[in-house]
Amino acid sequence: MSAVLELRGVGKTFAGVPALRDIHLAVGTSELVALIGPSGSGKSTLLRCCNRLTEPDGGEVVFEGSPVPAGGAELASVRRRMGMVFQAFNLYPHLNALENAALAPRRAAGLGQGEAETAAREALERVGLGDRTTAMPDELSGGQQQRVAIARALALRPRILLLDEPTSALDPELVGSVLRVIRSLKEDGVAMLIATHEIAFAREAADRIAFLADGEILECGPPAEILDRPKSERLQSFLSRL
Amino acid sequence: MSEFFQTFLNPGVMAESSGLLLRGLWVTVQACLIVVPGGLFFGAGLALAQTLAPAWGARSLSWGVDLIRAFPPLVLLVLIVHGLPFLGIEPPPLLGVGIALTINTSTYYGEILRAGILSIEPTQWEAARSTGLGTMATLRHVILPQGVRNVLPDLAGNTLEAVKLTSLASVVALPDLLRMARVAQGVHFNPSPLILAALLYLALLWPLVRLIRRLGGRAVLPA
Repeated sequence: MSAVLELRGVGKTFAGVPALRDIHLAVGTSELVALIGPSGSGKSTLLRCCNRLTEPDGGEVVFEGSPVPAGGAELASVRRRMGMVFQAFNLYPHLNALENAALAPRRAAGLGQGEAETAAREALERVGLGDRTTAMPDELSGGQQQRVAIARALALRPRILLLDEPTSALDPELVGSVLRVIRSLKEDGVAMLIATHEIAFAREAADRIAFLADGEILECGPPAEILDRPKSERLQSFLSRL
Repeated sequence: MSEFFQTFLNPGVMAESSGLLLRGLWVTVQACLIVVPGGLFFGAGLALAQTLAPAWGARSLSWGVDLIRAFPPLVLLVLIVHGLPFLGIEPPPLLGVGIALTINTSTYYGEILRAGILSIEPTQWEAARSTGLGTMATLRHVILPQGVRNVLPDLAGNTLEAVKLTSLASVVALPDLLRMARVAQGVHFNPSPLILAALLYLALLWPLVRLIRRLGGRAVLPA
């Protein structure tokens, strides 16, 4: 299996405190890898190191066979193909749903206005919001806002999506709508690396689960192996507290 | 009471001096047409430079801005209008006033715009960066539209101050509204032209004042 994204020995330290230690992880084409672990275990930092929103201290991130460049237009180009979805959505509040999704295709990928809007409209339809294109973010529910954020990433036709706890900021009754979208993206073969606290979702949708604690991947494997036969004490106690 | 009216609201004096005052009003309007757009333009430049410059550059810029803001605008005006000729540069009085007051007011516009840029959460920068948007595109399409909206009342308030600041020009003999009112006052030995000048300033600024009031009520963006 060819890896879309591969982390090789990635490490990160914040003010002397290690946040990530020697992370090795690969995500293959069409693969969904779930990152689970307690809060503060480094899940967000790991995702942010992939597109260098956080600069890793050591190791290498390889995307489609090449190291992720340090900056400039090359990094911007990698970021376009590596969509990111944030816990708090981070939509642009002054733009409507369509404009949110069309901004990067137009201004980062350099598409014409018409093409950019077509890409944005298709992405919004894919997340089930084809009828809310003119809605402003504050007119949408949390679940709808998060789906617009997913559409914003999808409009650039990324090779992989990085999702940072996409349902953690949502009311429980809205979580399902976002997870349904993620499931349908998986069926369409979109590769995803997703940090999540939704263990049931990870069990059913993930190809592999990686368990992070104190910045280290302690276990990684198919859901049944990780969730039903945890080897480390840390994972056992993490699962028992859910 | 009638003596008060004769002194401050003398209709005859007002009528006779109205031509002079209208000429002064036109000079004031011209000065505003230099100072307000000029101040906004260079203020935006200052704000962007401080946002984009490396730390040492931003620090030196903020020093410069603070120096100008602490410098009395009247002295700056006199220095430029009466000082530049010593260097062999003799701008027309209106331009000299325009340059001096633009320097002064652009530092205030700059600080307001910088506050607007800083009012936007870093997560907005991150969201834009994560989609491959560059720094300038992020500023133009994501940060500035929201940031400017957040400080619109302050921008309008500073514009009000800038318009009133142009009355300093009367000191360096620019025949602006206030200067003409003082001339008319001298001619008629009566302060009614000053009151008329105040009414003209009011007419000039009233729409802006009301606009600020309206903006104040809805400037805060929904979370």
